[in-house]
Amino acid sequence: MTAAGPAGARRPAFRIEPYVQFAQKAMAREATYRFDVFTNVASVLVRVYLLRMVWVALYARNAAPSELPLHAIITYSAVALLMGLVMDIDQTRLLHDKLHDGSIATDFMKPIIVPLYLFADGGGEVLFHAALIVPSLLLALFIVHIDVPGPFVLAVFFLSCVLGYFVGFFVNFIVNMIAFWTLEIHAARLIVTWITDLFGGEIIPLVIFPPLLQTIAFALPFAAMFSTPLLIYVGVVKPDRYLEVIGLQVLWLAVLAAVAAVMWRAGARRVVVQGG
Amino acid sequence: MAIIEAAGLRKVFRSVERRPGIGGALAALFSRTYVEKVAVDDVSFALQPGELVGYIGPNGAGKSTTIKMLTGILVPTSGTLRVAGIVPHENRMANAANIGVVFGQRSQLYWDLPLRESFELLRSIYDVPRARYLENMQHFAEILDLERFLATPVRQLSLGERMRGDFAAAMLHDPKIVYLDEPTIGLDVVAKESIREFISMVNRERGTTVILTTHDLADVERLSRRIVLIDEGTVIYDGSLERLREEYGTHRVLVVTLAETYADVTVPGAEVQSRELNLVRLRFNRRELTAEALIRRVTERYEITDVSIIEPDIESIVRRIYLEGYHEGAVGAPS
Repeated sequence: MTAAGPAGARRPAFRIEPYVQFAQKAMAREATYRFDVFTNVASVLVRVYLLRMVWVALYARNAAPSELPLHAIITYSAVALLMGLVMDIDQTRLLHDKLHDGSIATDFMKPIIVPLYLFADGGGEVLFHAALIVPSLLLALFIVHIDVPGPFVLAVFFLSCVLGYFVGFFVNFIVNMIAFWTLEIHAARLIVTWITDLFGGEIIPLVIFPPLLQTIAFALPFAAMFSTPLLIYVGVVKPDRYLEVIGLQVLWLAVLAAVAAVMWRAGARRVVVQGG
Repeated sequence: MAIIEAAGLRKVFRSVERRPGIGGALAALFSRTYVEKVAVDDVSFALQPGELVGYIGPNGAGKSTTIKMLTGILVPTSGTLRVAGIVPHENRMANAANIGVVFGQRSQLYWDLPLRESFELLRSIYDVPRARYLENMQHFAEILDLERFLATPVRQLSLGERMRGDFAAAMLHDPKIVYLDEPTIGLDVVAKESIREFISMVNRERGTTVILTTHDLADVERLSRRIVLIDEGTVIYDGSLERLREEYGTHRVLVVTLAETYADVTVPGAEVQSRELNLVRLRFNRRELTAEALIRRVTERYEITDVSIIEPDIESIVRRIYLEGYHEGAVGAPS
């Protein structure tokens, strides 16, 4: 500000207000794409219906795995699809776009913490879509029966969802940060989407994978995004393992955040040395 | 005390050399050779608070690179830089609070939002007190005629409207310094004039220090008394516009309409620049010959019906400097 002392070399004090505003503006922006809202909800319902058909058919011909009876796997799929409304958003796409057209420079010319701005913008977008979960859930109940666990399990599930969300944020952020070096990230994004689809547990519960694949899947961070909260929800992960699985989520969150921080520093350095 | 001090500023970019063809592109995946490009070689200048300086040079001279270093988003390879007491790249956030920027080629407004909401967001980012914000908004809306499109999303604005919005956005937090990088590019005459009016007002009434880079020398003639000329990354002239005109604007052109068609037209002390039937353009050095003397020489030899004089404009002066380089005192020392 103009009032910043004679030397003026002080870093402006941190204020949360601009980031709250960024999030609010992102929500408002999403609300303008009204058609998208309807298609999103419709697509969830269609997929809930299709997955139910698939699981019913598969279970009719094969022996059901003991830990996941038919009603549990249908619940699993429906809840996974509802989570996907939020988790599948490419929320730091803005960074890729800005690196692509060079407009990241104007953000660095403002007194804002740029990664926090990206997080706030993505958060606003996500919050808007999170609001769609309620009507989607109500409509989904017409198509399938969804089991509801007790309040304690539900509370742990929500905690695990939040951790999963942050893990997802950093995975997404890391993918979009690749654009610092390559500008084009289509291939990287596709690969990560496939891996997340396969090893995240959004479509197929990891517990019905063959043992070797299961070992691999549970050792990867993607399981922390969908699989951990969902297995808590359907009761495959029992309360005695809560500490272990939540701890693992926190661990992955810390690792990915550290990787993201290192990448950001290197990427931002590249911008200031090479001019973006 | 100077508000901006640059000394021996230098910026070298390193980039991957591109080899031609698909083979070259594939080879580049495995082995890369780097080429260095000196964007800014040696730039030094100092600006006093409240100055308005035209920073001009041909494409690729290093103007934008200098501006990027001033904003703190580009780290100089060597040299020192201080903006309002701050080393910009070491203290990007503090520097950002002191400056405003307008890029003709790039908007800082939020594309999806109505203009008014972009301003609201900027108010929050720069922590502008509400009363001051409203005061500035009212003032800018009046001068720049923003009222009509405040509710329109930025992506739907015309270039002229968007630029006016960008100017208001850059000035909303009363920055000490504004950098204007080709702010009038692509605008029509009316829009250009309204932008120039605004720049002049901000500099005069608010005492804002302004660095203006432009290719439109009319901007410079209209707005700045001092210019810094840069070419190939080096400052080749730093001084007043008048001095440049004095030193380089040595040649004037006398346009003569002859009463009849002469086979041959020659006038001692002047060079025939062009001739179309009865219209002759005579180029002469005003240090050697007065216009009156030249007209006398012409009328002694030929019947004429009309004369007029074309003064050298800044554009032709600058073009000449780019071509020939700048020499102190230029052609023949001033008498």
